[in-house]
Amino acid sequence: MKHLGLVIFLFTSLWCQAQEQFSISGTIKDITNGETLLGATVYLKDTNYGATTNEYGFFSLTAPEGTYTLVISYVGFKSVTQEITLNKDQKLDFELEETATSLDEIVIVAEESERVSIKKPQMSVAKLNANTIKEMPAVLGEVDVVKSIQLLPGVTNNGEGSAGFHVRGGAADQNLVLLDEAIIYNTSHFFGFFSVFNADAIKNIKLYKGDIPAKYGGRVSSVLDVRQKDGNSKQFGLTGGVGLISSRLIAESPIFNDKGSFLIAGRASYAHLFMPLIEDVKDDKISFYDLNLKTNYEINENNRLYLSGYFGRDIFNLSKIIENNYGNATGNLRWNHVFNDKLFSNLSFIYSKYDYNIILDFIELDWNADITNFNVKYDLGYYVNNDITLDFGVSGLTYNLNPGEVRPSSETSPINYLKLDEKRAFEGAAYISAEHQISDKLAFNYGLRYSAFTRLGGQNMTNYVNNQPVVYNSDLGIYERGEAESETYYSKGESIKTFGNLEPRLGVSYQLNEDASVKASYTKSTQYLHLLSNTASVTPLDVWTPSGQYIKPQISNQFALGYYKNFKDNAYTLELETYYKTVDNRIDYIDGSDLIGNNNIETEILNGEARAYGLEVLLRKNKGDFTGWLAYTLSKSEQRTFGGNAGGPGINNGDWYNTPYDRTHDISLTGSYKLNDKWRFSSNFIFQTGRPVTYPNGQYTYEDLSVATYSSRNEDRLSAYHRLDVSATYSPNKDNDKRWKGEWVFGIYNLYNRRNAASVSFNQNNQTGLNEATRISIFGMIPSITYNFKF
Amino acid sequence: MTFVVFASCEDVIDVDLDNAEPRLVIEASLDWEKGTAGNEQTINLSMSTPYFNTGEDTSVSGAIVTVTNTNSGAIFTFNDQNDGSYTVDNFVPVIGDTYRLDVSYAGENYEATETLMSVTDINSITQSIEGGFDDELLEVNVYFDDPADEENFYLMRYYEAGDLFPYFEDISDEFVNGNEVHDFFEKEDDEDNNEAPFEPGDVVDIKLYGISEQYYNYMRLLIEQYYSGGNPFSSNSAQIRGNCINPTNPDQYAFGYFRATQVNVTSYTFQ
Repeated sequence: MKHLGLVIFLFTSLWCQAQEQFSISGTIKDITNGETLLGATVYLKDTNYGATTNEYGFFSLTAPEGTYTLVISYVGFKSVTQEITLNKDQKLDFELEETATSLDEIVIVAEESERVSIKKPQMSVAKLNANTIKEMPAVLGEVDVVKSIQLLPGVTNNGEGSAGFHVRGGAADQNLVLLDEAIIYNTSHFFGFFSVFNADAIKNIKLYKGDIPAKYGGRVSSVLDVRQKDGNSKQFGLTGGVGLISSRLIAESPIFNDKGSFLIAGRASYAHLFMPLIEDVKDDKISFYDLNLKTNYEINENNRLYLSGYFGRDIFNLSKIIENNYGNATGNLRWNHVFNDKLFSNLSFIYSKYDYNIILDFIELDWNADITNFNVKYDLGYYVNNDITLDFGVSGLTYNLNPGEVRPSSETSPINYLKLDEKRAFEGAAYISAEHQISDKLAFNYGLRYSAFTRLGGQNMTNYVNNQPVVYNSDLGIYERGEAESETYYSKGESIKTFGNLEPRLGVSYQLNEDASVKASYTKSTQYLHLLSNTASVTPLDVWTPSGQYIKPQISNQFALGYYKNFKDNAYTLELETYYKTVDNRIDYIDGSDLIGNNNIETEILNGEARAYGLEVLLRKNKGDFTGWLAYTLSKSEQRTFGGNAGGPGINNGDWYNTPYDRTHDISLTGSYKLNDKWRFSSNFIFQTGRPVTYPNGQYTYEDLSVATYSSRNEDRLSAYHRLDVSATYSPNKDNDKRWKGEWVFGIYNLYNRRNAASVSFNQNNQTGLNEATRISIFGMIPSITYNFKF
Repeated sequence: MTFVVFASCEDVIDVDLDNAEPRLVIEASLDWEKGTAGNEQTINLSMSTPYFNTGEDTSVSGAIVTVTNTNSGAIFTFNDQNDGSYTVDNFVPVIGDTYRLDVSYAGENYEATETLMSVTDINSITQSIEGGFDDELLEVNVYFDDPADEENFYLMRYYEAGDLFPYFEDISDEFVNGNEVHDFFEKEDDEDNNEAPFEPGDVVDIKLYGISEQYYNYMRLLIEQYYSGGNPFSSNSAQIRGNCINPTNPDQYAFGYFRATQVNVTSYTFQ
């Protein structure tokens, strides 16, 4: 019933239009390269009529008949103003010029327009723009989008060199990571040292930590929406960089008689080229590469096609021991169609695949696994009037999961061929949401998403005695695998289990004055796909598994409240947010769970719950020679799992325990100072509470070995993590007449050489027989140098 | 170069740990060596200690230790040697029979049951350089046939005379059912870890145990945690529960395990 109320509210609002209204619509682009600008602001001066551009640079603004001054603005670009007489619907395209002709660097910028962000109900979102990230100090000079977002409040990693990221106490698999709408299942290269996003090919990044718009679904923690550049439609251009670990080259150019453009980007590491020269590692190989492709074609002013793709690969060979390669491949064909000046649509056909292969030579085993999905999406934006914008659409997604195929890797191998059951599923969704300006001060964002998930057959399902895949052994006080009773075969196309969930999303903002507002939001979301990992860190070998008979979908409810203020003429902004999030049906692993090559994962897991809450503070200085921000997060993230159907008290005795990504305190301080046209200096400082870990609380001798004993899960913590990074950027020629522009970036990561523990292991010393704690730290002080160019 | 850059630093640090209450440890391994009568058996009792207090004498004397064959009803009473060990010389091992262990100590009663598992013969033992992890170092290879018609679990124990510790491996036939199984043991050239590669003349004691699935699960966890405890890519460390329970006071269970196995015992001298 509560949803019905919303809908009635919405439609009565639609009918309340009075005086004659006209629309202006069009596209906003960068004048130098023709890239569409996302989130640019269009407004009528001295009125409340305004709009922002969507993911494709399209805007639509509706206002009563009259004469106005139209202002188009975008951070880092010169504003354009134009007098207009609004007496009919009209189409107007604009091109903006950058204020400073720098290299295309990414920077975490202030909200595109403070004027709108104060007013708009959308909260808990962090945006990154293709402008200046490169000046932020990075490990080995490798610019990294995923590492950059970790400098924002509410976002952490799981220690140096670990894959993925964690948002508001959520797990890495609870982030929906989209590259041009295609799902990226593994965001890392080199087992987490670098991310798969080539910063030079990226236009725009948005991270929703909460208040997730209804058009996104499928993950319960966050959405990272990464958009690739379209390619320069004005002239041919080359961009590149040479770093210690990898090099990049990007070519872009207009095509089809300026009706379109393309971009092709390549990035590859080359350390492996030198490895044969070093005796110790001459048979080893460790490398990665990736390719980004994007092209678009304008059929006419109302129709445009986009084709984008990504292909990335990691190769890791340790002579005679392990050969491993893995990577993502994605493709997306899109059709933008503008029905009229108020109705915009996009139809996408998306393909996405992640696969890995591992060969263990010493046991002559060859292992393959993959996840493939196809997705068809149709999204529409209807700009009803100045006060109401509607987004609605449908989506259908098929999954094909191959959790593992084992082959002998040689003729003499003792390994038997084994293929784990392939799993299939279909996920459909429909949504509608409205952004509704009720009054000058009050705005709502309300939406409803319905998602349905069907686990499809084509496999046997195991039935267990008493329907218990996991059984509590009360004698030994442990959880054990249940006893299989029989098997049921489901044919392809037959449904094994179906789920349906309504996911309401609600946001509200109230403007206190010109420079301050409060916002609140509620998001419910559902996740049908789970990443199986019983290790502290996500590894490339972790397997995704769909919900079904024994695994329930994760459901999260998040409430957030925020206060936003601009002061000193927008030179500073303050954002305060607090959130409370619960996740039902979070998978947890019984002690001693064995996930590798397991066809019956349900015998290793129980359905638990998780909760997280916290306070986030972000204070930014947006203007002047010195810019930067201070981010502070105070938070808690924990989980609990009862025995349920399996009996017994549950995992960890059914008590709440810290998730591995619980960080009580997390502080990031980032600053950039422009000395003059040639030199710029940047610095980061990071401090985090140590990662929760489980340390021994005793030992005993068994079979001549000292065996550690443990108490509760994650009761201890590594020591606090902190480090300081600095970098300097030198741009020798700022001469605008020369096409070739280059810059040098000198960096030092971990300046004071802090030995941050990536882990602490407890071992018995082979020489003395005594037990000891060994700290493993990954990055000490690392200097780097990178050369970037643009032609 | 990447390795130079990525080479992680390791150092030993001081860590303050919680100390759990000491708990009884039962190391009751009824191992029937193939080709012997298996009448001599020893059970060891000790106490657990704080993690860094290895080497303390924690042997437990004064306990009453019996093993009962639940199929035949035969009872074997172990004699307290007053050094933590309890022995018998009249034990009768029967493959497939189930045995129950009873330990009575300090007012608490502990019990455990286990079935005596058989083990297949070792086909051959060879040495090689090409195989193993490192192509330039010697390793010893053990081959044995896995029976096809049943699930089998094995424990391998390698020990080179002079070493402080034996080396264990848990093996299941999950991926190799019915085939000739190959296991190898190679030592690294690692001075930091006091490890030197095998050389001609080195002698390795080799034991191949046939074990129960439950004991396999216990040893799999123990081995994983012993060799990679704290490694972020290993599964989370957790208490390892054996099969020695305290029926009247379940929280007062004992550490360790009561196993009953058949074992191949041999040794190999590198040529």
